[in-house]
Amino acid sequence: MFAVLSLVIALVFVVAAAMSEESVAYVQVQRVGYWLRKRWLAVLVALVPPVLGLGILAAPGTGGTGDRVEVDVVGRQFSFSVDPDSVPVGARVRFSVTSVDVNHGMGIVDPNGQLVGSVQMMPGYTNRLDMTVTQPGRYRFLCFEYCGLAHHAMEGGLTVTPR
Amino acid sequence: MATDVVTVVHPGAPAIPRMRVSERTVAILYGGTALAVIGLMGIAGLVLRFTQADVLDVPPDWFYQVMTLHGAGMITGTLVGMMGALWLTVRSIVPLSTERMVAAWCLIVTGVAAVIVATLIGRFAGGWTFLYPLPFAAAGQWDTWATSCFLVGMLLVGAGFMVFCVDVLARTSAAYGSLLRTMGIDFLRNRDDSPPPPPVIAAVVVAIDGLIASAVGTTVVVAELGRTFDGSLTMDALWAKNLTYFFGHSVANLTIYLAAGALYVLVPRYAGRPWKTTKPIVVGWMATLVFVATAYTHHLYMDFVQPTWTTYVSFTASLGAALPVVVITVYTGLMLIWGSEYRWTLASTLVYIGFAGWVIGGLAAVLDAFIPLNFRFHNTLWVVAHFHTYMLMGVVIWVLAWVADQLERAARTVALNDRTKPAIAAMIIGGFGLVGMWYVSGALGLPRRYAVQPLGTDGYSLAGGLFAVVFATGFLLVSLELLGLARSAVRQGALAGGWGRDTEPLPVDERPAGLPIERPAYAIAALVAALLALVALVPQVTDAVVDNTRYHHLQHAAAFFLGVMLGLVLGSSPDTARRLGQRLPGVALTLAIAAPVAMMLLMTPDIYASIEKNSAVHLAFHLGIVALGIVTGFAAAGLGRVAGTFVALLAIGMALMYAAGVTG
Repeated sequence: MFAVLSLVIALVFVVAAAMSEESVAYVQVQRVGYWLRKRWLAVLVALVPPVLGLGILAAPGTGGTGDRVEVDVVGRQFSFSVDPDSVPVGARVRFSVTSVDVNHGMGIVDPNGQLVGSVQMMPGYTNRLDMTVTQPGRYRFLCFEYCGLAHHAMEGGLTVTPR
Repeated sequence: MATDVVTVVHPGAPAIPRMRVSERTVAILYGGTALAVIGLMGIAGLVLRFTQADVLDVPPDWFYQVMTLHGAGMITGTLVGMMGALWLTVRSIVPLSTERMVAAWCLIVTGVAAVIVATLIGRFAGGWTFLYPLPFAAAGQWDTWATSCFLVGMLLVGAGFMVFCVDVLARTSAAYGSLLRTMGIDFLRNRDDSPPPPPVIAAVVVAIDGLIASAVGTTVVVAELGRTFDGSLTMDALWAKNLTYFFGHSVANLTIYLAAGALYVLVPRYAGRPWKTTKPIVVGWMATLVFVATAYTHHLYMDFVQPTWTTYVSFTASLGAALPVVVITVYTGLMLIWGSEYRWTLASTLVYIGFAGWVIGGLAAVLDAFIPLNFRFHNTLWVVAHFHTYMLMGVVIWVLAWVADQLERAARTVALNDRTKPAIAAMIIGGFGLVGMWYVSGALGLPRRYAVQPLGTDGYSLAGGLFAVVFATGFLLVSLELLGLARSAVRQGALAGGWGRDTEPLPVDERPAGLPIERPAYAIAALVAALLALVALVPQVTDAVVDNTRYHHLQHAAAFFLGVMLGLVLGSSPDTARRLGQRLPGVALTLAIAAPVAMMLLMTPDIYASIEKNSAVHLAFHLGIVALGIVTGFAAAGLGRVAGTFVALLAIGMALMYAAGVTG
């Protein structure tokens, strides 16, 4: 979608550049331009409430009811401690994450290598994130906040076992 | 000469003021420094990309040092360029101070030098965001002096920006009589028939947000600086993160809005149509003022301990910030260009391309600000992609455009030729290709700031690196063309004669406008507030707070508040304000910025811990904090009503923020 919208924007600029060499009375440009701008603004303003609503409703974090498996994750330069380190597939996991030294991030990569989300790890605070693990295999944790010289090598994970 | 200049700009272009020698000095200092810093930091960026592509064998420790330098340097380089552009634009409308602009340049350049020393010699690699406590977890890589050197560098860059912002706020509000009129609000309320032109409104909004961001940044930098000589000093990590991102996000964002202010003059120059102040423009800038200051918490979306309401505010602000851009600024810019027989020069072509970079980068930023998407984009290469789109393809291109605008007119030559056309094409293909690779990598979930990319992803880095070389080639060719234009301009005597036409610049008026406390009622209110703050110094309160660091620092903040109130009242006496503000404006500004920094440094626990054992010395210490407050308030009064009040309030805000975040 982003690529398509970017191309549309580029096209608008190409057309406007082509039109820039013409001679059109500014009054005429203003008449059409202001007419169009009102509608353009109306479209954008109309988009704001649904986008805000969707964004807030689908925001990650904690919520819902039912059983959860608590998984505590502690970050330190340059490793993750995960307890417990395995959960059954389909479990609703509540990650409680913190750090004992600097800020880290926990990017969660599913067994197919797809990034499925992330949560920040901060010294002195515990961030909580609920997530359902849907596939058996190894969910890898990569550090997603620059934390020092071996930041790129900081890795951990959670094993999701078949039921 | 006037005829020659007309051949470069549009025949219908508004009058272009002739510059004084001092103004040309500012243009050369800021334009030259910006291009030099951006060029050097661009080379650093190439090193990073080719290291990730496994073409260069730079070890991770050096990679992260260079990454720290690249981030801090590039933000500063673009900031310097756009400060110069907007200053020169506004200077032809309002008499901004050349001396203060040169002072700001000295501070910033010294700051850049300190950052270079800290990273390349001191081997500091804490990231340009110096996110606490990473600067103090060096794992043996860098010494404490390197951290101090880096922080001092950032402090000086912030101080330079603060000088610029104070001057803009003081001079524009003096020229238009009140802040409401300067911001166009009186015009909005139908109380003003001759509102300030758009660059002035833009400059005031940037100055207000810039001052707030600088104050916030100064607080966290000084707290970290305290930690470099008091290893036991601790801070709340969430507090530090909020302050750091408020500062970093706002300053990066404001470089674009500095540029926007200059575009109000650059576009009409080549389109031959005036860009006048309208009510939508004023509303747009009011919205921008609020959105720039409230959007930063999208950097903390994945910190679920952050109060939820801040996330929603940030989400709304991040979406809302796009509206003034795409409905007012860029839309109106395109309307002005449409059918105008736009004069395509090197400068005007770059202005136009920068618009596209701003809009496409803004779209990517809006997507990143959408919370469910941010869950998957947070700290991936998508983030790198979107800010490079509007910084590289927007602001960096505009820096070139601004310099080209000066030099094409000075050399009386249109430099859109067989050399620069391919160079511009190279920048477009290379630039969008480079960010395109980051967008793809980000969509795939690849993390940012990795010295060694995950296995199998080197290809994206290699392709990105090659596109970066194409961009750099274009940038170099355009820079060489600019150098040729400069030589030609010098040969034609441009340095002696200036390169504008028609109007003369306004004379500089050093007198500050108004006083922070002009009415007796305000003085009484300030004295009552000071009296209430005095309670914080009674022995019972001192005994009660001595074991709690935050309350203890709150007591210091109250002492400082007391001093600022007294200083404002004393400094608002017309006689003292006249002496200080008119005769020693530089001293007033220096003290107003330096005294709050000294106050926060004095609050470093190691400094006062030993003092507290002796009650007489302890009292003297508290009186010292009051004295620094008096100096701050007194100096702020010399900056005039609007800027002085702002600076005094921000100084008090710094004391309170420090008290809230430093925990031991």
